[in-house]
Amino acid sequence: MQSPRKMAALVGVALALGMTGCGGDGDEPGAGGSSQTSGVDQGASDDATELELWTFVDLHGKFYEEMANKWNQANPDKQVKIAVNVMPYDDMHNKLQLALNSGEGVPDIVDIEVGRFANYIEGSPALEDLTSAAAPYAQDVVKARMDLYSKDGKLYGLPTHVGTTLAFYNTELLGAAGVDYTTIKTWDDFKAAGEAYHAATGKCFGTADTAAQWQEALLMAQLGTDWMTPQGQLQVNNDRIVQAVSMLKDLQTANAICTIAGGQPDNEEAFGEYNAGNFAAAIMPEWFMSRYLSYLPDLSGKIAIAPPPAYPDSVHTTVGGGGTGTAVPSAGPNKALAAEYLAYAKLSLDGNIMIWDSLGFDPVNMAVWKDEAVTHNPDNDYVKYFQNNVFDVLNTLTEEIGYLPSTTMQGMPNINNMFGTTTLNEIFENDVDVKTALDQAQADLKNELGQ
Amino acid sequence: MSAIGRPDAQRRPGGIGQPDGIGQPAPAGRPGGRHRRGGLPLTVFMALVFGAAGILCLVPFWAVFVGTFQDGNMLIRNGLNLKIDFSQANFDNYVMLFTDSGNYFRWFANSLFITLAQTAGTLLVSAFVAYGFAMYEFRFKTALFICVLVIMTIPFEMLMLPLYIQINNMSLSDSYLAIILPFLASATTIFFFRQYLRGIPRDILEAGRIDGVSEYGIFFRLVLPLMKPAIAAMAILNAMASWNNFLWPLLALRSPDKYTLPIGLNTLLTPYGNNYELLIVGSFFSLIPILVVFLAFQKFFIEGMTAGAVKG
Amino acid sequence: MKKLLYSPKAAPYLFIGPFILTFAVFWLWPVGQSFLMSFQKIIPGEASFIGGKNYARLWNDRLFWLALANSFRYMICTLLLLIPVPLLLAVLVNSKVGGSRLKAVFKSAMFVPALTSVVVAGIVFRLIFSESGFALMNSVVEVFGYGPVKWLKNDLTGLGALLTVALWRWTGVNMMYFLAGLQAIPEEYYEAAVIDGANAWQRFWYVTVPNIKPTVVYVVVISVYGGLAMFMESFMLWGGNNSPMNIGLTIVGYLYRQGIEKNDLGYASAVGVVLLVVVLAINLTQLTASGMFKKEDK
Repeated sequence: MQSPRKMAALVGVALALGMTGCGGDGDEPGAGGSSQTSGVDQGASDDATELELWTFVDLHGKFYEEMANKWNQANPDKQVKIAVNVMPYDDMHNKLQLALNSGEGVPDIVDIEVGRFANYIEGSPALEDLTSAAAPYAQDVVKARMDLYSKDGKLYGLPTHVGTTLAFYNTELLGAAGVDYTTIKTWDDFKAAGEAYHAATGKCFGTADTAAQWQEALLMAQLGTDWMTPQGQLQVNNDRIVQAVSMLKDLQTANAICTIAGGQPDNEEAFGEYNAGNFAAAIMPEWFMSRYLSYLPDLSGKIAIAPPPAYPDSVHTTVGGGGTGTAVPSAGPNKALAAEYLAYAKLSLDGNIMIWDSLGFDPVNMAVWKDEAVTHNPDNDYVKYFQNNVFDVLNTLTEEIGYLPSTTMQGMPNINNMFGTTTLNEIFENDVDVKTALDQAQADLKNELGQ
Repeated sequence: MSAIGRPDAQRRPGGIGQPDGIGQPAPAGRPGGRHRRGGLPLTVFMALVFGAAGILCLVPFWAVFVGTFQDGNMLIRNGLNLKIDFSQANFDNYVMLFTDSGNYFRWFANSLFITLAQTAGTLLVSAFVAYGFAMYEFRFKTALFICVLVIMTIPFEMLMLPLYIQINNMSLSDSYLAIILPFLASATTIFFFRQYLRGIPRDILEAGRIDGVSEYGIFFRLVLPLMKPAIAAMAILNAMASWNNFLWPLLALRSPDKYTLPIGLNTLLTPYGNNYELLIVGSFFSLIPILVVFLAFQKFFIEGMTAGAVKG
Repeated sequence: MKKLLYSPKAAPYLFIGPFILTFAVFWLWPVGQSFLMSFQKIIPGEASFIGGKNYARLWNDRLFWLALANSFRYMICTLLLLIPVPLLLAVLVNSKVGGSRLKAVFKSAMFVPALTSVVVAGIVFRLIFSESGFALMNSVVEVFGYGPVKWLKNDLTGLGALLTVALWRWTGVNMMYFLAGLQAIPEEYYEAAVIDGANAWQRFWYVTVPNIKPTVVYVVVISVYGGLAMFMESFMLWGGNNSPMNIGLTIVGYLYRQGIEKNDLGYASAVGVVLLVVVLAINLTQLTASGMFKKEDK
C-alpha cells in the first residue's frame, strides 16, 4: 500500500482546492444559486428587522425585495430586510413541512403553492391567522381568492393573483395556416381551428397536458363541477369530469392538441417547443404571460390573448388557476411584523400595481384592473410584448371567473399528484380509456385518503 | 448507517465473507514479463472492446463539458449533445461561475469540510470499535457483532424518517453533527477493520502490557500504525461516499449556506430559478477536483477499491 | 482512572462503546419509534392509535406494490447486467493479450464514472435522455431511422435510462472487484490445468469460475442491497420523486413520498417497517446461504 505521506498529500490537495474555492466566496452579490441576495436595494437601515422568506420562484423573491423598499420608505420606524431563499418547488414544500412539524427553522414568510396548501392547514395549522393584518385591504380584494386560503373563518395565506385562465395564440403561425383566432368561442370552434391548423402545418395547435390540470380545471368550472363535493368526498370520475376529459381526448384524437415536452406548457422543455413553433396555442392562467416575457422573447409581438374556449351553456366562462398563498408560520420570531409587511406587499394597491408591473399577474386588488393608467401604461413590458392588452380581455370576464372550492381542500395535493403523474399520462400518452383511468384514480385516491 | 452515510450503497467496501488477512493489496498486475502477446486479431479485438467501453464511459463527461459553453435554458430545452456549435459557444458560464455564482463556492467548501471531518472521524471511531471486536473476548460479543452485520445489510434509507425525528429531538437538525454523528461508527468500516485486525497476532498486546502500556496506548501506539493500509483503503471509500452523499444531508440541512455541493446543485434544477447555466457549469466544475485527485493518485484509488473485494 | 486504562476487562466495553451508543441512539430507538408510529395516525400536533389500519391500507395500496415491483425489477436487471459485463471485461483485462499500458488507461476510464456524484450523473443523463430531437440518445436512434423517443415517459425506456446510469457508474467498480478476485488466483492452478491438457475454455470453466465465486457472491450481495435501496438515480433522472405513471417510483421513493412529501408519518412508518422486514429477510437468507454467519461463529 502507499505511504502515509501520499495520503497526507491527498488531503493537502483537497484542502488547497477548498481554500481557492473559498476565495471566490467573497462579498459578491450573487444572483445565482439559492442565495440570500439578489442585488435589489431594499432601502433598509442597519437596524431593520431581517425576515427570512422562502419561495420557489426566483421572480417572486425580487418582488418582495422591491416591496420591502416601498415599505421601508413608508414605515421608517419598523423597517424590514427580506432575506430571500429560493428553493426548488418540491424541496421548498417538503422542507417547510419538516420545519413546521418540528417548529424549528421556520421562515418568517413563505410562499405556498395553492396545490400544496391543504397540507399545511391540516389539523391545527402552524400558520398565523392573517385576518386582522389583511383587514385594511380586504374590501378591494377578490373574496374568492382569499377564501381559498381560509379555513374555519381564519385566513392562513394571502393570494398573489386571480389567475384567470385565458387563451394565448401565436398569430404569426395561425396566419400562415389561415386560422383566425378571433372566431374561436366554443370548444367546437377550437377543435375545428386545431384540425385546420394541423391539416395546414402538420403541427399541433394546443397542448394535451399530462403533468398539470389547468385545462381540466377550466372545463370543470365551465361544467359546474369539482374534484370533490363541498363535503370533501372524492368525485374525480363523475359524469361531468368524464365529459371534460373525454372532450380533451377527442381534441387529441383529432390532432388539435398533442402532448408537449415537459408534460405541460409551464416548464423549460415546453418553452423550447413553443419557441420552435411546435405549438400555436396555450390555454393557461393569466400568469403564463410572465413566462412568455421571460422565457420566450423571440415571440414578442406575435402573441394575442383571448377568452378561453367555452361551452355555449357554460356555468362560468373561465376559472382562477394556480396561485401562491403566502403564509406566516406561527413559530417565526417576528410574526406580527411579518404579517403586516406581507399584507402590505400582497394586498395593498401599491403592492398590486407592482404585482402587475413586475410580475405581470392579474392582481387580486380589483381597483388595479380598472385603472387604465396602470393597465395600459405604454412603457409596461407586458403591454409591449402582447398584441392586445390583457385587461381588455380580463375586464370582459370579471363576472365570469369561477373557482374550484376543492383547490385547497384536504386531499387536493393527492389529487394533483395522482393526475399529474399517473392518470393524465395514461389517458394522453398511453391511450387508456378515459372512464377506466378516472375510475382507477378514484379508487386509488379513496384508498389513499381513507374514504 | 452501514454504507458510510451514503444513499447509493452499491459500492460497499469491506467484503462480506472475507477470509482473514484481507486488506493486503491485491497483486498489482502481473509482472510485465509474463505478458505473452496473443495473435494480432486478438489484440485488435481487445483494443476495440476496451476502446469502445472506455469511450462510452467518457461520453457523458464530454457531453457536460460541451454543455458548459452553451446557454443553460437551451440545454434544458434541447438536451445535451456532443456537438459544439461554435457560433453559439461562449465562456459566459465560466465567467458567471467565478463572478456571480452566489453560494456555489460556499457549498464547495462545505462539502470539502464535511468530507474531511466525516472521513477522519469515521476512520478513527470505526478503528477503535473494530479493535475492541478483534482483540478482546467479552460478554455479548457475538450478539453485538451480529448487530454490526445486520446494520450492514439494512439500507439507511429505510430508517431515514425516524432518524430524522431523532436528530430533531436531539436539536441537531440543520447542523453538520447531524450528518456526521449517526454514521461515525460505520458498520462496514468496522467490519473491514476487524477482518484486517484479525490478521495481526495478539502477541503484540501481551508485549505491550508487559511493557506497561495502557490498553489504549497499545491501540494508538502499536496497532494503529499497523493498520495504515486498511485505513488508506477505507479513507478513499469513505471520502468518496461522503463527498457524494445526498439524501441524508438533504433532509438534515435547511440553510442554504450550509448546503453541500450535491444539495446545492440540486436546488438549481428548478424551472423558476433562472440558474441552469450555473447548474451545468457547476456540475462540470465539481468534477474537476475529484478528477485531479484521482489522476494524481490513481493507483491508490484502484488499490483502495480492490482491497475491499473478496479474494478467494 | 488509571485502573480503568490498564484493565483488559473493562477495555473492550470502552472500545466498542461508540458502536453501542450509535446502535442504541441511531438504530434501535428509531426502529422502535418507527414500529410504534406505524400503528398511529399522525397529523401535525396530534397522534392517535388506530391499530393495524395503516397496514390494511398498505395491502390495498396499488402504488406500494408498484414501487416494490419497480425496485425488484431494477435490482434483478442490475444483477443481470452488472455481473456478466464487468466479469467479462475483467477476464479480458486479466488475460495475457494486449498491452498493459492500454489496460491501465482502460481501467482508469472505467473507474472515473464511479467518482461522479449521482446528482451530477443524474443531471447529465436527464439531459442526454431528453425527449428533444437534438439530445444525444435521440440523435443516436435517429441514425437507425427512429423518431424522437420520449425516453423518460415510458416504462421500459425509463427503466433503460435507469439501467444506463447504473451500468455507467458501476461497471468499472464491479470490474475492479472481479479483477482483484482474478488476480488472486494462483498462476500455478492454470499451469497445472495446462499440463493436464485443458484448453482455454476448460481453464476458464474449471479454474477461473470456482475461484471467482466468492467475489461474485460478494458483488451479488452489494448489488441486491444497492438495487433495493435505489432512489437517488430515479430522483435525479426525473427531477424529483414524481415520475410519469410512477415508472421511476422505488420503495425508498415511496417512503420519501409518504413520509416527507405527504407528511403522513404513521403510514410512512408502516411502509418502512414492511420494507425493513423484507430487506432483512432477503439479506439474512442470502448471508446464511453464503455461509457468512458460519464463518463468524468460528
